[in-house]
Amino acid sequence: MNPFTRFSSSIFAALAVVLASGCAKKEIVVTRDIGPEVEAYYKAHPDVFHFATPADLPKDLVWHDGSDVPEFSDPEAKHGGTANSFIDDFPRTLRVFGPDANGSFREFIFDDNGLSLIQKQPNTGQYYPGLAKAWAYDKDGKTMYFKLDPDARYSDGVPVKADDYCFLLFLLRSSYIDDPWSNNFYTKNYSNITKYDDYTISISWRDVIPDLEDKVGSFSPGPEHFYKELGDDYVQRYQWRLEPTTGPYTVKPEDLHKGSFVDLTAVPNWWARDKPFFRHRYNFDRIHLQVIRETDKAFEAFKRGDLDLFDLSLPKYWYDKLPDNDPLVQRGYIHKTTFYNQIPVPTYGLHINTAIPLLNVRDIREGIAYASNFDLVDQKLFHGDWVRMQTGSDGYAEVPFPGIHPRAYSVEQALAHFAKAGFDKRGPDGILMDAKGQRLSFKITVGGDVWIDALTILRQEAAKAGLELNIDKLDETTAFKKTMEKHHQIAFMAWGVAVEKYPRYWEMYDSSNASKTQTNNITNTADPGMDKLIEAYDKAQTMDEIRRLATQLEQHVYDNAAFIPAFKMPFYRVGCWRWIKWPKDFNVRLSQNTSQYGLEWIDEAAKKETLDARDNGQTFPPKIKVFDQWKAANE
Amino acid sequence: MFRLDPITQSKLQRFRSLKRGYGSFLVLCGLLLMSAFAELLVGSRALIVKYRGHYYFPTYAAFHPGTDFGEDYSYEANYRKLKDRFATEARGDWALLPPVPYNPYENSFEEGIYPPTPPSFSQRHFLGTDTTGRDVLARLFYGFRIAMTFSLLFLVLVYVVGIAIGCAMGFFGGVFDLLMQRAIEIWSNIPFLYIVIIVASIVTPNFLLLLGIVVLFSWTDMTYYMRTAAYREKARDYVAAARVLGAGSGRIIFRHILPNVLSLTVTFMPFTISGAITLLTALDFLGFGLPPPTPSWGELLEQGTSNLNAPWIVSSAFFALVIVLSLVTFIGEAIREAFDPKKFTIYQ
Repeated sequence: MNPFTRFSSSIFAALAVVLASGCAKKEIVVTRDIGPEVEAYYKAHPDVFHFATPADLPKDLVWHDGSDVPEFSDPEAKHGGTANSFIDDFPRTLRVFGPDANGSFREFIFDDNGLSLIQKQPNTGQYYPGLAKAWAYDKDGKTMYFKLDPDARYSDGVPVKADDYCFLLFLLRSSYIDDPWSNNFYTKNYSNITKYDDYTISISWRDVIPDLEDKVGSFSPGPEHFYKELGDDYVQRYQWRLEPTTGPYTVKPEDLHKGSFVDLTAVPNWWARDKPFFRHRYNFDRIHLQVIRETDKAFEAFKRGDLDLFDLSLPKYWYDKLPDNDPLVQRGYIHKTTFYNQIPVPTYGLHINTAIPLLNVRDIREGIAYASNFDLVDQKLFHGDWVRMQTGSDGYAEVPFPGIHPRAYSVEQALAHFAKAGFDKRGPDGILMDAKGQRLSFKITVGGDVWIDALTILRQEAAKAGLELNIDKLDETTAFKKTMEKHHQIAFMAWGVAVEKYPRYWEMYDSSNASKTQTNNITNTADPGMDKLIEAYDKAQTMDEIRRLATQLEQHVYDNAAFIPAFKMPFYRVGCWRWIKWPKDFNVRLSQNTSQYGLEWIDEAAKKETLDARDNGQTFPPKIKVFDQWKAANE
Repeated sequence: MFRLDPITQSKLQRFRSLKRGYGSFLVLCGLLLMSAFAELLVGSRALIVKYRGHYYFPTYAAFHPGTDFGEDYSYEANYRKLKDRFATEARGDWALLPPVPYNPYENSFEEGIYPPTPPSFSQRHFLGTDTTGRDVLARLFYGFRIAMTFSLLFLVLVYVVGIAIGCAMGFFGGVFDLLMQRAIEIWSNIPFLYIVIIVASIVTPNFLLLLGIVVLFSWTDMTYYMRTAAYREKARDYVAAARVLGAGSGRIIFRHILPNVLSLTVTFMPFTISGAITLLTALDFLGFGLPPPTPSWGELLEQGTSNLNAPWIVSSAFFALVIVLSLVTFIGEAIREAFDPKKFTIYQ
């Protein structure tokens, strides 16, 4: 989770605490049934919630069942054992919607756990059956039909039926969940859901889009029997109740030790355990998530063997704290692995506020771009294995921008552009000045300590081009707030990006989001040409059109020079004790981290052997591996 | 001419005879003097350049672009490279660089090696480089200058405010004293660290702002001592005599009482200084101090403790801190001993 969502969620946490404490005195004993209200809602929205009969299904549907899609788990995987991992903060809620629910813990209980109708094969990009065993497309290009798998059960044993999908749409459109983003998204985009019988449904999107499967096929059910008591007090009432899941793991109430740890337990007799695409995955019986608030402390716990694996992506861990010649690595106890994945990368870079005087001059922005020596940062600070981000939308496999590269560091080019904007002579300290004696000096707003080293190098290099960059270091929340209120001059930050088929532009570049607080258009870009392109882009129906428009948009982003791409990490790398076993390709192309697809398993015998060996000095062959089968595609 | 009274003279005599304290005092003064001219000892600008028959003194002048010395770039000349070039050209040009030819901000990267790099005499990184390739000695030295400037300014401000208010409380007594005491009690109960954290999270603190906040919450300590001392002194005969002669309150406080309680403040000074150095270091260490990339000991300590595999960073900062704090403490002990009232004051 990126730090910004985390902080916004902490604000929600504070809010939730206030709400909870305000209502603590009221004893709620009423039992409720939301059922009639749901029925009434369905009746009031007949265009969205449609109830038909199997006879109403189009006759010429071609059903797909994913039987031609290769599985990606390893048949060698053994089921059982306990995995030891850590979380850096205790979850603020077990709800999966509403305030605070979008924290990093949700991936354990919802995002990476629950199943959707159909799922994307993370290597090939094809689709395989999830809760639906077959699916078909309507001729209108907006609607998909699903035959639900009658075997599907929630973790409490209740079968998953068509009504649950209708209920989820009701839930996400209702104001009870206090989640405006969901309300808007599910009201605006999902135009229809039709139930044909208990195990057949169709879902429609508002428009024709090229990735209908990702939008419609990712729909999941909402257990109506669990949300029976839904009402205005949803936020408190469901705060510590986990909804029954269709996925492999759940949290038992007795495994929730507030502030200390959470254990995930495998759902007994999970319905999909032996289904294709799910077999040999989610192999642990139990996942122990210890709360360790400091990363360095967690690292020590990992070295002691208390944690099974640790993310070593930062050069500090990979090269300095656990170098290849570390005894634990050399004795073969800990294996080091680099895995090149292929996912859209966070947009690290300088986001220049074009509404600020001087920064509204394109030549100044271009000068800043030429004066920013991110290549040096990548090479020297990140040991050359982080690389320069090329555009604002790197990592979309189907939308590459082969012709667009960032401006390389060049003092001459920077000086030439600054001179065009009137800054043509250097002051006594080497910083450029214009005719009025104004210095070419800007502030970079940054949150936290992590990027300070990179920015100090940037500052030194920019000074050579006569540009002064002062570092405005604030705490993360304040820096983000300042940026969202558009009070920054230049912000160094990144937007976390979802794994989608093609990039989004409207949020960051449409003029309707410029000069307004609390929008993602932090460069305040307002370009009528871009607006037109964005409008066309959002209506594009084929990938070819998307690629054509995205290339033009990305060219605009480059020409405008309000976003200067910094760096990206085209891989993740981990250290992992030798008792954790992996598939032979280690992981899958679209994985964001090692455990997202549940492909690893534990070898208890190897664990005992390793711990004994550590005590009596026995060694194993060291393993330091690079899996770069997806590397070329990403660069 | 200004003449010290015999008692003060004998106190100073006594201080001079305390070898450890006086020695520390001389060393610290030497360090302060050196840091005042730090650019001559540690810095990337050459002291003297002879180029094509002209002499240049870049240290305290405006910057010279590389083009001034026949280089092809318009930014500040790299005098280290220039020196090498002059040596290979052998045309009689030369450059004299400071003993440590790096400024505390520049990142010097070497081919094939990633910072931090260990101490190297050939590269003239006598204490190695930090995580972004900056010279540790240069950062220590300029960090010392900043810390000392901060402490001395802190000392002056805290004493001016503390002494004035403390003396007034002691001298006037009564309701004024009572109210001020309560006000000070409340004020000193505000958690200072939280205030700094809050301020640092809203704005990036600069030198003066940080100094201001620290002084704002530190002047109270001094008032207690001055209040007691003023209470004691105002009952003395000389104060009564001055009053009989018609002296006003201001004159009595500043001309009569203050000189007599000054020895008390003198003994506190070294400890105030060491306190201020520690405070600034601690704030920098926690990340609430001066903004990056200001050279600072706290920042070096922080870097060092999170990069224990580069022991030269943490050990340099640690030893520098220990040495300076020891010096200050030795001076403080010696002053305390030299100004010990038991030796020189005769109670009547």
